[in-house]
Amino acid sequence: MKQDIFQERHEPEWQALEQWLKQRTRPRVQERSRDAEGVFGDLEFPGAYRRVCQHLALAQRRGYSVVLIDRLQDLVHRGHLVLYRPRSPRLQAVVQFFGAEFPRLVRSQWRAMWLSAALMFLPMLTIMALLQYRPELVHSIMPAEQIAKLEAMYDPADSDARLGRESGSDVQMFGVYIMNNISIGFRTFASGLIFCVGSIFSLVFNGVFFGAAFGHLIAIGYGEPLWRFVVGHSAPELLAIVISGGAGMQLGFALIAPGRRSRGRALVEAGILGAKLVFGVFVLLLFAAFVEAFWSSIGWMPNLVKLGVGAALWLAILLWLWRGGRGAAHAG
Amino acid sequence: METPEGIALRLRAAGALPRACAWAIDFAIRLAVVWICAIVLALLGSAGMGLYLIVLFCVFWVYPVLFEVLRDGQTLGKRALGLRVVNANGTPVGWVASVVRNLMRTVDMLPLMYGFGLVASLADTHSRRFGDMVAGTLVIHVENPHGHSSAPQVPAVPTPIPLPAAEQAAIVAFAERARLLTPERQQELANLLPQLTQARGAVAVQRLLGLANSFLGRR
Repeated sequence: MKQDIFQERHEPEWQALEQWLKQRTRPRVQERSRDAEGVFGDLEFPGAYRRVCQHLALAQRRGYSVVLIDRLQDLVHRGHLVLYRPRSPRLQAVVQFFGAEFPRLVRSQWRAMWLSAALMFLPMLTIMALLQYRPELVHSIMPAEQIAKLEAMYDPADSDARLGRESGSDVQMFGVYIMNNISIGFRTFASGLIFCVGSIFSLVFNGVFFGAAFGHLIAIGYGEPLWRFVVGHSAPELLAIVISGGAGMQLGFALIAPGRRSRGRALVEAGILGAKLVFGVFVLLLFAAFVEAFWSSIGWMPNLVKLGVGAALWLAILLWLWRGGRGAAHAG
Repeated sequence: METPEGIALRLRAAGALPRACAWAIDFAIRLAVVWICAIVLALLGSAGMGLYLIVLFCVFWVYPVLFEVLRDGQTLGKRALGLRVVNANGTPVGWVASVVRNLMRTVDMLPLMYGFGLVASLADTHSRRFGDMVAGTLVIHVENPHGHSSAPQVPAVPTPIPLPAAEQAAIVAFAERARLLTPERQQELANLLPQLTQARGAVAVQRLLGLANSFLGRR
């Protein structure tokens, strides 16, 4: 068939598809649904798209002009983007993810998770214990002004003031915690790509820092206000950092030992898994920041309530990670 | 890249330079947003400070993901440069892939000024940075780089023998570049195709330009 006849015969179809695509890809949702009706219904789009695919294949095979092929290529690519776009997230899928899929993912990476927990909690506990016998060692871990700041924050003498901070309102601290803690969580994950080194460094560094701060404050007798402050948000925060470290390390493992997959393939799979874990880490850290800013700092609450809530959170989150999604049908 | 419909789609991967330009535009926009928010929120005292940090967090981490997923793979900078993020199979990026590629900026930024990302994108055949490799995404050019407009307008000549697409493209490319070549060089090139032009010298050049015009669908 001559190109002219081919073009003449199919021109209306191409124009209709072009029109439909133009209207379907408008930014506003209301405009889309209203305008697209005029050309053809959404249900007819896959058929129209496939016909243009066939036209493109014919045009390429028959050696029609470059311009025509380019035009059809463009049309097909735009159609491809619309036909294969990701589904918009639905509430049910979100509930399903946090109720079942996330805990399952964490358990499926149990090696990385335990390793990550060990890398953070072992240095933390070791240094805490060490500082009870050799309190002067804290000066070789933290600079003097940071120690002074910590002491000021948890001084039991001014216990009527807010706990765990020098100044600043709840909202301000909420912002600080979001910016700092969530960024730390994200970086702990992402830097695992460099052969796990970044995640390991971040975990050990945080473990040493927490250990030094806690150990020092307990050693000088500021233990009570410290526990009253940290117990509430400790569970979501520490567990989130452990999970992001684990997610980062499984990414590093995929690069070091991809197994029977190619390195690229292993990385992509580990990246998808890691991103899902990071969604959970994000929510946990957001929750932790909220608790830390608006609950942990309340000074007048009796110890029993503070410790009870803290313990309940630890229990609830661990139970969620341990049992969540068990028994439900595996979605693959 | 082949689609499920059995069509070979050509995606033109974008190199490091346009991507750096797009990033610079995004950076300027983000800086402006942060700056304006800082001025407004400074009036609200310490609560404003907290809100400011939340805005900072959103601009830093959430902005690229939100735009890439909701605006067909284009942040404002990428839109200005005509770039788009797609999955390796040409489909639009989803939440997971976009989150991965933007979190991995942490690694690409190392040791400074996207050093790792630059090295990776220069070494990779599809000029992907590490984030793109892990997320399985590509940054592509949306528009055809040259609209075939630069070919000189001459009366079209029908082709004596049907030519495959690659050869047509070569002749069109010759017509587009004709202005940059000396007349002698044009004739020298045109003389290489005696069967097609059935002439020599300036006439052959005119024939080739005419052929190019007919391939371009001009009359």
